Amino acid sequence: MFKQFITIAMLSFATISSANAAISQTKGDFEDKFRQLDESLPTPNVYRNAAGEPGHEYWQQQVDYKIRAKLDEENRRIEASQDITYHNNSPDTLKYLWVQLDQNKFRNDSMSAMTTTFGGIGNRGPATSSASSTKPAQLSLGALRRQQFTDDNVLGFNIAAVKDKKNKSLKHTIVGTNMRIDLPVHLKPGEKVTFSIDFDFNIVEEDAVSARSGYEHFPDDKREGGNDIFLLAQWFPRLHAYTDYEAWTNKEFIGRGEFTLEFGNYDVELTVPADHIVSSTGALQNPKNVLTSTQRKRLKEAEKADRIVFIVTEEEALENEKAGTDKSKTWKFSAKNVRDFAWASSRKFMWDARGHQQGGNDQPLVMAMSFYPKEGGDLWKKYSTEAVIQTLEVYSRFSFDYPYPVAQSVNGPVGGMEYPMITFNGPRTELQDDGSRTYSQAEKRFLIGVVIHEVGHIYFPMIVNSDERQWTWMDEGLNSFLDGVAGREWDPTIPWGVEPRDIVSYMKSSNQVPIMTQSDSVLRLGPNAYTKPAAALNILRETILGRELFDFAFKEYAQRWKYKRPTPSDFFRTMEEASGVDLDWFWRGWFYSTDHVDISIDKISKLRLDTKDPDIDFNRLRQEELDKPMSFTDERNKAEGKELWVERFSDITDFYDENDRFTVTNKERNKYNKFLKDLKPWEKVAFERAVKEDKNYYVLEFSNKGGLVMPIILELTFADGSTENQYIPAEIWRRTPKAVNKMIITEKDKELVSVTVDPRWETADVDINNNHYPRQIIPSRIEAYKSKKRKAKVYRDIMQDIKTELKTDSGGDNDDNQDNDE
Amino acid sequence: MNNISKWLVGTLLFAAFFVSAHQQKTAFSTVLFNPRSENIEIMHRFRVHDAEHAVKQILGKDADIINSKKTQNQFGNYVHQRFNLFDSAQQHLPLKMVGVELDGKFFWVYQETTQPTKLDNMTIRHDALRDLWPEQVNTINVEGKGKLQTLSFTDSVELLTLTFEH
Repeated sequence: MFKQFITIAMLSFATISSANAAISQTKGDFEDKFRQLDESLPTPNVYRNAAGEPGHEYWQQQVDYKIRAKLDEENRRIEASQDITYHNNSPDTLKYLWVQLDQNKFRNDSMSAMTTTFGGIGNRGPATSSASSTKPAQLSLGALRRQQFTDDNVLGFNIAAVKDKKNKSLKHTIVGTNMRIDLPVHLKPGEKVTFSIDFDFNIVEEDAVSARSGYEHFPDDKREGGNDIFLLAQWFPRLHAYTDYEAWTNKEFIGRGEFTLEFGNYDVELTVPADHIVSSTGALQNPKNVLTSTQRKRLKEAEKADRIVFIVTEEEALENEKAGTDKSKTWKFSAKNVRDFAWASSRKFMWDARGHQQGGNDQPLVMAMSFYPKEGGDLWKKYSTEAVIQTLEVYSRFSFDYPYPVAQSVNGPVGGMEYPMITFNGPRTELQDDGSRTYSQAEKRFLIGVVIHEVGHIYFPMIVNSDERQWTWMDEGLNSFLDGVAGREWDPTIPWGVEPRDIVSYMKSSNQVPIMTQSDSVLRLGPNAYTKPAAALNILRETILGRELFDFAFKEYAQRWKYKRPTPSDFFRTMEEASGVDLDWFWRGWFYSTDHVDISIDKISKLRLDTKDPDIDFNRLRQEELDKPMSFTDERNKAEGKELWVERFSDITDFYDENDRFTVTNKERNKYNKFLKDLKPWEKVAFERAVKEDKNYYVLEFSNKGGLVMPIILELTFADGSTENQYIPAEIWRRTPKAVNKMIITEKDKELVSVTVDPRWETADVDINNNHYPRQIIPSRIEAYKSKKRKAKVYRDIMQDIKTELKTDSGGDNDDNQDNDE
Repeated sequence: MNNISKWLVGTLLFAAFFVSAHQQKTAFSTVLFNPRSENIEIMHRFRVHDAEHAVKQILGKDADIINSKKTQNQFGNYVHQRFNLFDSAQQHLPLKMVGVELDGKFFWVYQETTQPTKLDNMTIRHDALRDLWPEQVNTINVEGKGKLQTLSFTDSVELLTLTFEH
């Protein structure tokens, strides 16, 4: 019998593995949800090994920049020149270099502009809507403003010169947002080349064109003509990345997919009006030339302060923004090992700072700093720098010590955007009629949330340098997951993070693309690249791997790829290899497919072990018979007082009236004894113990309606009121991904009365109606809402109620202040 | 011309336009054929942050979606006016406003109507927030009547029709 079983098992195994050898299953409908990802992932090599680690010949290019830039405030222009040193660490000889000219996206003839569809999906920036049956086409004022701005201003880079070290012009060809520079001498592996680019461009008005940087104008400031805040990013020609997996990553910048860049060292001189305050990537090199002695003293003081110290106070900033100057100052910054460089400049900025003493050898002191105008006000004073420091604490725990000397949050026209050591964040206060500035609770949450999120990006992808142009989820998904962790540690009463239940509506919807989709092609970027991967990682941490394994593997990923360039496969492989848990099914289901989770418990059957002892089993059978409901005919005959024939004539009874069909004879007893005698000793022990324990055997039948395989998490409720949780790993689905049965054995006195699948809603199961056995009526949200008591505290209008005057006893009038909820 | 001047006024609402690596401008709704109540229940889920910015544009800067019941109800009515169901004969199904609810990072708006006895197809309009930010994407899952069907209101789409299999 046992042998036969083995043969059958072997046969089915062989069938499955031969199916796996082919690319597609062409017979039957079996789908191997646990099929290893190897053939879908790129082949490991000397640059990226099979563990998901940088291989023993891993390389990446290095690009160093020396930039001298001048901000022409009046004309809102940047004029600059830069010396670039390109280190070819690749094994390839390069005949040309590719440079990114992101400002060219704003030209009217850019691919971005020419392919902007009318009322199109997925555009950042002022959108439009086309005509429908009931409405004429709408061109928003925002779109008009953009159009007018791009008509009135010459946008895009003007490349004035590209020269080699000897000041000889280099041939360069501009292709949209890219520029190819031909090298007169081929750049061999291990060699470097230095060349210079002179460039200038007109800065875009952020509010007009919706960019990731630009200027914002404040016409109402006291200074004649108002003031501006300048945020500068994508502001200099930057080398495209040259990688082992894609060579030149010179995909046109259309707007959605962000940036892929090389690490390098930057020395940057920024000449701005003398009354401006500059916040920038890098460490300030000449504080004596640009800061007053008071400001330098305050900065020093801030290093060890417990609370923020103002380097420029609100009063000083207000005074500053009243006037202007013809003079200028040059701020010098140096940044080591960064992949980009951004800065901000304005005479409106107040500036606060607090030292984050993180200890360690890399960077014991980090200056957390914020720069904001009066429009940021108290909201920024209170929360910006604090949120920066909290982010550093939490993210470093999950990755590595923050390696840079400064971490900054700057308020300007950009809603939220990240660069090395500096982030741009949008939330502001509202000016009230009485001249005060207030902010709503939502704006407060938004500020804390956006600062955590953007500062978090300094880790991912500014240090763990994933390819944003290709894979938005690699930085946004990981970062959304971690900003949820940090937010909950800030204040769990603020609803942060991504709960599995939050992604349910998206995952069950029928129009979506897999997470593994190139950024410019993703249909609904928010749920696809932020929420779904963040929910997946949350589930991986809290439910699949547990915190210990997850945190170890995640940290391993961060440390392996610190200052390096990971791809999706490096993440998948590292998480699997470092946790020691096969996760290919998880990546396949969550990242490579559009399946959703819907596990249904369909049926539970109870089994009881036969003792084989006829004196016991026959009695049980008799009892089962007696337990059946009586026939109505018999019952009603009895009720009518019908006398039975056998009762009327006692002489017609015989042996069978005394002995029913469950009567045991020695024939059965002998058979039982022979059965016992034939058992091998180990069989006898097992059998007798099972009979003695007389446990309950339940068979639970599950079906997988969503397609995505996940662990089955069970809450078992027993007749005595106790409950027990069971975790069945996802691998239970490996041979029958559509339906599985599971036996549950309980002690004799533990009688199962109900079962709930995923009681804590931790797997993103889209239909909880089929998660209960026996079925329960799950009220819809509307039903639940209607039955809820409508006096929940959250409905109190405290802002209004707090104005209520306290009544004296003598008042005596009716309570006109009672709740009057509908 | 008349039309044009009308929409110009309408779009003056676009005061501060705002991008963020953070904001999603995405709402999900469920249209549920509930067999117990025999109603069509409509449950709209907005992100509080989107709703917060929307009410400031619609109602002014004092609007407060988190703490003011008045703002919450006004936003509910705003949604109520921009969501319509039409039956097979293209007739309006009269929707009743059930209420609104703040639940963590989401703001919910509830509507309902009685299920028509015969309904071969249904047409839906969902303009909420899309008249403020045309890049808003509203996704609707229609459940409880055959296989789940999803409609996405995006781009220039204004009316979407789905057919029920019997």
